[in-house]
Amino acid sequence: MNKNRLFLILIFLFVSYVIWAQEGTTNMTEGNKILKIADENLMPVSFESYRKLINEEPDGSKKEFIFYTVKKGKDKVAMLYVSPASEKGRATLRLGDNMWLYIPNVGRPIRITSMQSVIGGVFNNADIMRLDYSFEYEATILDQTPSEYILDLKARTQIVAYDKLKMWVDKKNIMVTKVECYAASGTLIKTLEFKNVKNFGDEIMRPAVIETSSPLYKGYRSLMIYSSMKHRKLPDEVFTLEYLSRLGELR
Amino acid sequence: MRLIKNILLVALFTNAFTSGFSQEYDFDIPEEEEAKIEFNGNLDAKLGILQTRKSSPFFGLQFYDVSEKSDYLSQNRLDFYLNGEYRYKKVGFFMKTFTQYAKEESLSPSFFELYGSLNLSPRLSMSIGKRRFNWGKGYAFNPVGYVNAEKDPENPDLALAGKTSVYINYNKSLTSGSLQNFSVAAILLPLEAEINQKFASADEIGAAFKLYFLLKNIDLDFMAAFRKNEPQRFGMDFSANLRENVEIHSEIGYAHGENKYLIVDDLVLQQKIDGVSFLLGLRYLNRFNTTLIVEYYHNNKGLSKNEFTSYVDYLQSSLDSNIPAIINSAVFNMSTTFRSKTLMRDYLYMKIIQPEPFSWLYSSISMFTIYNLADNSLLFSPQLSYKPFTNFEVLLWPVFFFGDNHTEYGSKQFKRKVEIWMRFYF
Repeated sequence: MNKNRLFLILIFLFVSYVIWAQEGTTNMTEGNKILKIADENLMPVSFESYRKLINEEPDGSKKEFIFYTVKKGKDKVAMLYVSPASEKGRATLRLGDNMWLYIPNVGRPIRITSMQSVIGGVFNNADIMRLDYSFEYEATILDQTPSEYILDLKARTQIVAYDKLKMWVDKKNIMVTKVECYAASGTLIKTLEFKNVKNFGDEIMRPAVIETSSPLYKGYRSLMIYSSMKHRKLPDEVFTLEYLSRLGELR
Repeated sequence: MRLIKNILLVALFTNAFTSGFSQEYDFDIPEEEEAKIEFNGNLDAKLGILQTRKSSPFFGLQFYDVSEKSDYLSQNRLDFYLNGEYRYKKVGFFMKTFTQYAKEESLSPSFFELYGSLNLSPRLSMSIGKRRFNWGKGYAFNPVGYVNAEKDPENPDLALAGKTSVYINYNKSLTSGSLQNFSVAAILLPLEAEINQKFASADEIGAAFKLYFLLKNIDLDFMAAFRKNEPQRFGMDFSANLRENVEIHSEIGYAHGENKYLIVDDLVLQQKIDGVSFLLGLRYLNRFNTTLIVEYYHNNKGLSKNEFTSYVDYLQSSLDSNIPAIINSAVFNMSTTFRSKTLMRDYLYMKIIQPEPFSWLYSSISMFTIYNLADNSLLFSPQLSYKPFTNFEVLLWPVFFFGDNHTEYGSKQFKRKVEIWMRFYF
């Protein structure tokens, strides 16, 4: 009798494990699918855009930067500083996990890290030159409400700015509405909120404003505002160190 | 009837002719494609106080003609940088000018860069004119910077003059495999005009080549430089991110027949040497946003401790001679043969940068030191930068030199100096 009971318990545990594992895999597959669509809705495969970045400080003062950005595929982003004059001509390039900064006076690109911030404020380099989330993270569905999916994103590699993300995705249009960024220790580093869904034309509809705040930078707030975004076919050579000083030719 | 037929024929012919004519010569007025012309730059107003080191032969020679030597000197100047560029389709024109104002006299602006470029495609580009190149991965030193202007490790970000060159570059990206991108660059370097201020020897045109690879997330360069009567140089460098906040870089260069200058018995001796110079570097960012840069540099043609002591003794004995010809010769050697910013053999550079310390907005503090490993002398400099307004920056920059009398930094003409820079961008 005891043997039979033990056998039944083992069978139960095995079946539970199989179901749980299956559920986990399904959640991950489903999560990755949602993440991929959310990525596609945020950024076309190949595009150019103009963005303004505003750093608001605790005393209410602001600093503004305007960037011209081009992106191709999942892992290629290049960005040119258009204003202010003190930063004009600087350019940054990201190819997967690699990032470089070109300063006209220095005359050559230097490697920078994703955790650095070339402009100060709450946004770091990884935020400003963001790749597709699905390129850097593996997603599972953590929870869902009638209107939103809540995804749990885990970094695919160690060379990613945040080890873990928690992402809210609107079910109706599969659009990211909020992202919380966590360190490996579980500490919340920053929160990004995606607002003001806007039609940019060219069948591109996405949030025009990304607002970020951080418990590590109390009183600081940074805003990223997209003024234009349009499809543009670009050769791979645009995303090279050699081309960084020539990025202005694309404008 | 015939008349009507003739009129019709003439009308038909005329119409056919005029319609053909109008088709051939009609044109649409094209939309104006604007050429892009841009100017920008900055004005640096610099005020400095320098404490002199009267015991230094460098000071004695530099201020030999000055009858009354002060303990403190002030230095006030305006550095004006004006950059311009013109771009139209594949053609570009670029200039960077530098003008320094120290007192009321005719100014002589110099072109740091002045070149035209032709970008035939994203892959193929070329330029001709005076252009600055910056080879190597090091922040403070570049042993493989064969075409670079000599960098000042005290201020590695300073704009520097380029070289007259013909440059061509081919750049190709690859979508699969470990190799993601490569480029091939070739540079021809004519000599500066020195014959009647207009001509230079044609058989002494130099050439330099560089191959770049982005291979498995590693930047890798191989370079070489040749010129008649100059050493042959071969080098390589790399940089890579070990983690999201750690970058390492290195340069190694071999030179065959490099000139090394020594002082032997108060005479300048030239030696031909072969050997390797190299650099090892690291850049690290911690969770408090503090950046640390560390570099070790071995300069193969640099002077050893004893060789530098002989050099200082030579300057001192020249000064003590009080003979104008000997003094002029020493000043000449000091400002030409021995003018390098890295005169000696082994250096350690370390810089720590902390943006917005103590939540002080728009400020940045940094400290750097250049430590001469051969003679244990060093330069130490804390810096404070503050950007209270857009396009304006103020910089407080003290520099201290430490070391014994016969050491590199201990024998500088100044014991310490402090400068205030106010920088206006436009």
